[in-house]
Amino acid sequence: MMSPTEEDFELELRSLPGVLNVEIRHRENGDVDAVTLIVHGQDPADIRVMAKQIVSLYFAEASVVVEDASNTLAPRESQAIRVALVGATFNPENGSCQVELNYAGRIGLGNAGSGQLFGGAEATLGALRDLGFNVPFYLLSVVNVATARGWPVIVSLRPFSEGADLFGIAQSEGDVTSSAMATLNALNRFLSMSPSEA
Amino acid sequence: MTSTNDAPAEDVESTETNYEPWLFQTMLDELSVSELGIGFVYSVLDLLAERYKLKDVVVSLTHESFGTQLFRLGGKAVSADLASRIGTAPGVYCDPDIVPSFERDAVRTACQLSLSLHLARFWAGHDSLTNLANRRTFDVALDDACSRSARYGWAFTLVMIDLDGFKAINDNLGHATGDDLLRQFGLAMRRSVRSGDIVARFGGDEFAVILSNADGHEAAGFTDRLRCNLGPAAELVGFTIGTATSPRESTDPKEVFRRADERLREKKGKDR
Repeated sequence: MMSPTEEDFELELRSLPGVLNVEIRHRENGDVDAVTLIVHGQDPADIRVMAKQIVSLYFAEASVVVEDASNTLAPRESQAIRVALVGATFNPENGSCQVELNYAGRIGLGNAGSGQLFGGAEATLGALRDLGFNVPFYLLSVVNVATARGWPVIVSLRPFSEGADLFGIAQSEGDVTSSAMATLNALNRFLSMSPSEA
Repeated sequence: MTSTNDAPAEDVESTETNYEPWLFQTMLDELSVSELGIGFVYSVLDLLAERYKLKDVVVSLTHESFGTQLFRLGGKAVSADLASRIGTAPGVYCDPDIVPSFERDAVRTACQLSLSLHLARFWAGHDSLTNLANRRTFDVALDDACSRSARYGWAFTLVMIDLDGFKAINDNLGHATGDDLLRQFGLAMRRSVRSGDIVARFGGDEFAVILSNADGHEAAGFTDRLRCNLGPAAELVGFTIGTATSPRESTDPKEVFRRADERLREKKGKDR
């Protein structure tokens, strides 16, 4: 186990902007000899100055090396655009749901008529397809469960081809919104790809 | 990190087909809130590598205040080349690629939880701008120091510090400059103390230091070092201090604090 001091030291280094990874090398006597930082999307020279200030507080003699991964890493993270839930509504008169999503300023709409739980999830999948996502999953189940703090909704999705089921959970002010949020939660990793990649 | 076609060991195959959450159970056995932190992440990677005889493991985690973070087996650096191959999406990347997905998911979840708890614990006790101890941590440290002072006679000096003219810097040069100045001041303070001393930011431009094993004279040395370590920031801002010493003056934390604060206010009044 690392000492609490060394853990906080690494935490401080990792909290510098753009730092992806930290290596701390020790001498045989246990003293810290060198620190290597892998950075992404920041000027390595700036990060080195800040890192040296932190390193000097803990281990005055340790050297600092900063490697830039910006050229080799895909810019996905820095340009990450998330699918955001704009609204989810349920019409009690005809039992239909409408879900509105936003992706990079574009709005996608989905409608479904199967109640708040299934309808919310189905409408979310519809809105994603409206945005251009090719979603290779179908809805397996949507349930709400009683907890001490409310009724979270759990959505499970199964891929059309091989692969593991996806699960999402969310709780909000109503079942239709919870269902839409849980569907997005289940698809979180899939949605980190752009519509063209997905 | 590349996958290989090496045949997995027999016990690995059986784990794949018969769900035996050995690693998750092992992690649960090891889980202790006090130990959860970055070190725990590396311990989990060690366990995974040992179980599956892996040459290498990298876990990619995300945190809203942190962005993506990569942790590699043995605390080694993830080279830019390797980082480009594994990307920044959250996940566990193994060499060879033989670990069942449920184990990878369990590892990622445990590591994510551990990192999040470490961050929560750290920021609960630290000021997010300067990384100095916050008021809560300071109050506990002052109580501890006073207890030791009363019980064993161990001396300490409380130094209260207030920046001079900081509001004018914020007003004239902007809050970004003000924040940068506070960071520089925090760094200079940390450089000026010995290990075992506590440096805290109360909020705004007020700071405090508990100089352990100090009976009053050390405060002058500390302020000299602080002026020296401030560097160019010293041209922008000055500071005023007030001190109190325990057990000579009191061993009650409130009284020690009151005396240091009163002396600080007196000096500020004189300077105005």
